[in-house]
Amino acid sequence: MRIKNVLLGIVCCVISAASLASSGLTGQAAPDFALKSSSGENLRLSEYRGDVVMVNFWATWCGPCRQEMPLLDELYSRYQRVGFSLLGVNIDDDSSKAMDMVDELGVSFPVLFDAHKEVSKLYEVGAMPVTVLIDREGTVRYVHHGYKPGYEDKYLEQIRSLLRE
Amino acid sequence: MWRVTVTRHLLHSLAICMTLLFVGTTIAQESVSADQDPTTAAALEADAAAAASRDKFRSLDQDVQALKKEVLDLNRDLFLLEEELLFPANSQVAFFISMDVGEYFALDSINLKIDGKEVANYLYTEREVDALMRGGVHRLHMANLKTGDHELIAVFTGKGPNARDYRRGATLTFDKGIGAKYMELEITDRVKKQQPEFVIKDWE
Repeated sequence: MRIKNVLLGIVCCVISAASLASSGLTGQAAPDFALKSSSGENLRLSEYRGDVVMVNFWATWCGPCRQEMPLLDELYSRYQRVGFSLLGVNIDDDSSKAMDMVDELGVSFPVLFDAHKEVSKLYEVGAMPVTVLIDREGTVRYVHHGYKPGYEDKYLEQIRSLLRE
Repeated sequence: MWRVTVTRHLLHSLAICMTLLFVGTTIAQESVSADQDPTTAAALEADAAAAASRDKFRSLDQDVQALKKEVLDLNRDLFLLEEELLFPANSQVAFFISMDVGEYFALDSINLKIDGKEVANYLYTEREVDALMRGGVHRLHMANLKTGDHELIAVFTGKGPNARDYRRGATLTFDKGIGAKYMELEITDRVKKQQPEFVIKDWE
């Protein structure tokens, strides 16, 4: 009985891990959106067509986001000049908290505010953080739910392969 | 007499030699051409095969192009059909945004309400505003409305004169008759007052 429960647990873990790694959006056209950014201007996703775009949904109350953001910023600084864009979408109700965290972490990529959670709904954000990779044609290619140390290597590999296409 | 006979014999022999030489050359040539025949035939066959393959590829390419065109045509027809079904011409209302000059107003967003219900909330990027200032027209919203009176409220948000936050509304009650209706929300500059002006026009 005990072995059966352990096996069941392992199967559940494998299934949930598989479901987290893939998403219904993968292979679909990335839903377009426009949001106000930390610099005050409005940014629209479709205007980045031709670039490999990473959309990272984050919140100030999310610990892994805090861990992940400086690493994403490194990727952004490294690949920005070869057609890589990164949009950080903050889902906090209060954007001032997000601004404080951005200042504290010193990240340079554009941060957008989705206080009404409209874009989060479009991208079926059910965990924090969620990282979506979009190819030059505007198709969602990879969706990552959550963050664990080492994920950045996966991002790096995927960004490089998308840039090569 | 003897000399003449000898000369005649000599000429005769010469003629025979010439004839033999000619016949020999002809035979040799024929044999050479007969020797070359297999290679020439093979080369000709290869040429013919290459030409046939080229033709085949050309025709395949033409087929692909024709198929692509058909797909595009089908896509266009489907799009038009979808629009006709979703927005029948009789109940169709479309709202367009245009901008004239825009020196006193930097557009940020437009919120559109019809009969008190929010139907569109659009954020404009720098590029989009630039396109509007260059004479572009943006179709903000398309809807189906019943015939009769309807109230339209458009709220424009942006930066006004001296880069101050600016928020202005414009209201219009319009009558939706039979047939499609097009309305234009125009942002213009009122130079005398150094203020922007928001006008809703009904395209007749």
